[in-house]
Amino acid sequence: MKKNHVSIERLPLRPRGKSANARFGKLDIVLFIILLVYAIIIIFPFYNAFLISVSPEYVYNETPLLLWPRDLTIASYTSVFQNENLWSGFRITMVLLVLGTAYQMFFTIITGYALSRSNWFGKNFLMNMILVTMFFGGGLIPYYYLITSLNLHDKIWVMIIPGAIDTFNMLLMRNYFQSLPKELEESARIDGANDIQIFVKVYLPLALPMIATVGLFFAVGNWNSWYNAMLFIKTPSLWPLQFVLRNLIITGSSNIEGTITSPETYSQGLVMASIFFTIVPMMCFYPFLQRFFIKGIVVGAIKG
Amino acid sequence: MDNVLIAKKQSRAHDLKKKVGRSKFLILLGLPAVAFYFIFCYIPMYGILMAFTYYYPKRGILGSLFTSFVGFKNFDTIFKDPYFWQVLGNTVFIGLGKIIISFVAALLVALLLNEIRMRMFKKSVQIIVTFPHFLSWVVVAGFVNLFFVTDGAINGVIQLFGGQPIDFLRNGPFFITLLFGSDIWKEAGWGSIIYLATMAGISPELYEAADIDGATRLQKIWHITLPSIRPTAILLLILSVGGILSAGFDQIFNLYNPLVYNVADILDTYIYRSQFNDNVNAGVTTAIGLFKSVVSFILVLSVDRIAKLSGERGII
Repeated sequence: MKKNHVSIERLPLRPRGKSANARFGKLDIVLFIILLVYAIIIIFPFYNAFLISVSPEYVYNETPLLLWPRDLTIASYTSVFQNENLWSGFRITMVLLVLGTAYQMFFTIITGYALSRSNWFGKNFLMNMILVTMFFGGGLIPYYYLITSLNLHDKIWVMIIPGAIDTFNMLLMRNYFQSLPKELEESARIDGANDIQIFVKVYLPLALPMIATVGLFFAVGNWNSWYNAMLFIKTPSLWPLQFVLRNLIITGSSNIEGTITSPETYSQGLVMASIFFTIVPMMCFYPFLQRFFIKGIVVGAIKG
Repeated sequence: MDNVLIAKKQSRAHDLKKKVGRSKFLILLGLPAVAFYFIFCYIPMYGILMAFTYYYPKRGILGSLFTSFVGFKNFDTIFKDPYFWQVLGNTVFIGLGKIIISFVAALLVALLLNEIRMRMFKKSVQIIVTFPHFLSWVVVAGFVNLFFVTDGAINGVIQLFGGQPIDFLRNGPFFITLLFGSDIWKEAGWGSIIYLATMAGISPELYEAADIDGATRLQKIWHITLPSIRPTAILLLILSVGGILSAGFDQIFNLYNPLVYNVADILDTYIYRSQFNDNVNAGVTTAIGLFKSVVSFILVLSVDRIAKLSGERGII
């Protein structure tokens, strides 16, 4: 298992010996430039969108491709921060983030743990049951009517309950538990530990890195969730942030109820300010959490 | 003789009891999953029966089955509709195109990052290019709209150089290019990680030996790096084939408009609009969904079989 823990940070173990290629050559400069351009292409939309969000309308109209700030204004942000719909969306998203993530973690972890243990009655049944769903499904429409008959329409629970287990994350958890030494269980048993103690006190603490990874995947999923809201939620006060944002972008914010417009605000500026409202939290955390995400996908891909 | 049989039976029952007893805790942990998959995955599979009815929501699935069973009529309706074939064509084109393009893009990014020697630079680039994966398509579509509307940034540049503004978002070929382009922008960095990890696992001795033989860097990439990641690449390609007919609902739904339906409407968006905007009967929309599931399943099975026949590791 340890072998599979290749972290990206430790990668460049290229021989730096005497070979002529090891020196900094033309190719290195080409690589550097290509990657630099690539990174700029990724960053530029954020940069430009940010500048638009802090620029007045006439500046944007003159040059939509803003390269540097001019006549800064915070009018868009003042308006966005007064938008009750966005705050309502923010609150709903926070509920999904906290409750939803905890709920998904609980079921995903216990299922992953159960499937990682050696043969127990029903394990193969469950495993096959899950495998089938990876290759075949009923599709959107039967699912829609299932939610109808479960009476979950227009309730916040519809964005939480059906997400209990994500098969990919569950298999990540299972593979990680499986990679932990079996001897731990045996020795804990000799020391008189029962099943629950073995799970909670022996294996759970050891699986913390993978729990963090899976938790982050769930958290991002909840933060970005809008599809279920579009399908099932008609009450605007129950819409999550991303769905409020979607409506804002599509209708153009000036037509949206709850947006306080003033002569200084304009549609593109408001939309960009709203987008930043939803992505700034992620931008702040991502650089520090990136390695957890990467670990998850790497372990999952190599073992799964 | 009878006694032996009975004894055997008893001992088997006893064994089972013992086995259940021993694994009580694990069974308890597994039960919620059984319930979950049963309710949210298997009941919708049973709902497939809707495809063979004229569906009345009030009567439910069984009710519709008994009172308005139509056999394969829904499928007849679909297959006779030329628009369905157009949508299917769009789906395959976009889905297949994305698989190929994102495969090449991810591989290229991985190679670039693998070859670059400045560690800090490499790390920073990696953080930057993997980030968009975690944005929702709502946000990315917001960016795409911002840049490519008629009075947006790109057209601003075009006009600066004396060109005519282009309506990228309402012009079929441009729109499809935007679909592929924004997909690369969002996912190529993230997609490269798996290849990069596989490249990290390649034994340095291979490169040392190549150095001694006087191989250039490009030769090393071609003869060592690429062959080493082949199994991973093939595995990922097989896995992605099952998603051809999905082609990216979130992306297209957030970007498209009626003017590009003829090139950008895919099965999922078509099902969604038919059901929720055009009031098409749920029997028909379920049938389209069933068609999609069955074809995807067959695709995965056949690609897996082909891969195995040509000596690669399959998935099933």
